[in-house]
Amino acid sequence: MIRVHELRKAFGETLAVESVSFEAPQGRITGLLGPNGAGKTTTLRMISTMVAPDGGSAQVDGLDVQTHREQVRRRLGVLPDARGLYPRLTARENVRYFGQLHDLDDDAIDREIGRLFALLDMGALADRRVHGFSQGERMKVVIARALVHRPTHVMLDEPTNGLDVMSTRAMRDVIRGLRDEGRCVVFSSHVMQEVAALCDEIVVIARGRVVAQGTPESLCEQTGKANLEDAFVAAIGTDEGLAR
Amino acid sequence: MKWRHVWVVLRKELRDGLRDRRSLFSALVFPLIGPVLVVVMFRFIAQQQAIDEPVPLPVIGAEHAPGLVEYLRQHDIDVREPPADAGEAVRTGEAPAVLVIPADYGDRFRASRSVRVELMVDNSRNETRSKVRRARRVLEAYAAGIGAQRLLLRGIDPQIAAPVAVAEVDLATAQQLAANVLNVIPMFVMMAAFIGGMYVATDSTAGERERGSLEPLLANPVSRTALVLGKWLATATLSGTSLLLTLVTAGVALSRAPLEELGVQASFGLDQAAVVCLVMLPVALLAAGLQLVVATFARSFREAQTYLSVLTLAPMLPGVMLTVMPLDQARWTLVVPILGQQQVLMDVIRGDAIGPAQLLVPSVIVLVLGLVCVRATAWLFGRERIVFGG
Repeated sequence: MIRVHELRKAFGETLAVESVSFEAPQGRITGLLGPNGAGKTTTLRMISTMVAPDGGSAQVDGLDVQTHREQVRRRLGVLPDARGLYPRLTARENVRYFGQLHDLDDDAIDREIGRLFALLDMGALADRRVHGFSQGERMKVVIARALVHRPTHVMLDEPTNGLDVMSTRAMRDVIRGLRDEGRCVVFSSHVMQEVAALCDEIVVIARGRVVAQGTPESLCEQTGKANLEDAFVAAIGTDEGLAR
Repeated sequence: MKWRHVWVVLRKELRDGLRDRRSLFSALVFPLIGPVLVVVMFRFIAQQQAIDEPVPLPVIGAEHAPGLVEYLRQHDIDVREPPADAGEAVRTGEAPAVLVIPADYGDRFRASRSVRVELMVDNSRNETRSKVRRARRVLEAYAAGIGAQRLLLRGIDPQIAAPVAVAEVDLATAQQLAANVLNVIPMFVMMAAFIGGMYVATDSTAGERERGSLEPLLANPVSRTALVLGKWLATATLSGTSLLLTLVTAGVALSRAPLEELGVQASFGLDQAAVVCLVMLPVALLAAGLQLVVATFARSFREAQTYLSVLTLAPMLPGVMLTVMPLDQARWTLVVPILGQQQVLMDVIRGDAIGPAQLLVPSVIVLVLGLVCVRATAWLFGRERIVFGG
């Protein structure tokens, strides 16, 4: 369970996040939808302890992200905005490195890598160096790296950015699978289709504030629109920065 | 901070670094170049200062002054037949100088009158200058000797005609020059420390950010200090390897250099070599630390590389100072990083005994400074500007 209460963050003069509150329970997919620059990435960075909030609070399993950084990081699997790999290491070595930094023993790492690589259908990639991988192949390694420690909470920042149709479909299956295993899944997107197709709960963010939230049905009710896309546009006030 | 994390990071960075051709190149190739260059310089000096070789001197009109010619021959001047075109021979450097003795030499000599002989030289030629000077000195010595004899014949003390006697003491011997070249070796060793780890330092900091792997890395439940310590030790491992390799090649190169011919005493035993390694190796810790902090601070990979290239010149400063300054130095230089190591190294080369203070003080100082750099880098890793750029 991730609980965010009136988070706030400014970079110099720019107020990146003004006030964001939401709850993301276990076994549900919570989508943060908003145009580019709405403050989604900064919100995720504050939850993942990478950026210190100026105000408000965020908790993961009741642990405050500022006072219990290490415990929070152990519970989180993060697919951040930056998803670089080590090109001279193989896919397996890339994932193993993060497993070791999560204090997993070799057996546990091997077991988990075997499971994830099978799930992501990347057996043929396992022992090739990452240099020269396609976008979709790289993304698989990044996902495996983020999940190797079996996190109870998963946060994905624009997970389908730059992926082709096949990879996007595979990614959606992975996200649903994580939910079905009972994990708390939070992901951000500026693509309305994506959020509509995947989310159990939707948090609509614009200009650093939450402008609407709820299940897809309740969002339509709140805005008095017949379909979800019209509801999003009504909530945000414009469709600028969004994608269908 | 867990030491297991340090070990994990160290192993990963080394594996990553060793698969990078550029980092291997810088760590392994430089150590081979430096010392070889020094040996080449030694050979060059030895050639330049071939003092015992007689000076070749073509003489025109040698038959007019058999006494003078005999004197020249006795004083290491190789009197030769004159070439067809004397002026041309001097200008092209074929002969360092040509001596011209006039036909009336005998008559004037017997009459105790001054005879004008000409020494044709080309003063724009550096390489013949010392030979010309030697020929000239022999001629002047002959003239002075004859003059003194004439005065004595007339019952006059020759000293009256020489109120001031100038004796030149030349300090720029080949030995001195060679010693100066020897001073360059510690500088090469230091530079190796800075060059060896350069790519790993850049790749694991600025490169990590540019690649977009820094943010995911920092999201792991690992202290920043552990991450930086691992990167530091990986960089220092390559720096140290490069440094040791340079020491070894320098040792081999020096054993083949014409040191004896130049009168330089630099006889190393194995125990001295061990002391040298012990004193120099910790420099890698300082070099690695400085490089990490500088490369982390840089905004991009390229910027980091530029900074680190400049940093490579840092160890040259004390080297230059040592070459310019006299060898005897104040004790306080022991606490100046790099200068301290060089001082101890020169002590070893001169065969002085090395005390525990000399062995420990410079090493502890570079270790402490290296750790300060690690601390600073870890702090930088916590800065939002550094991690996310902008």
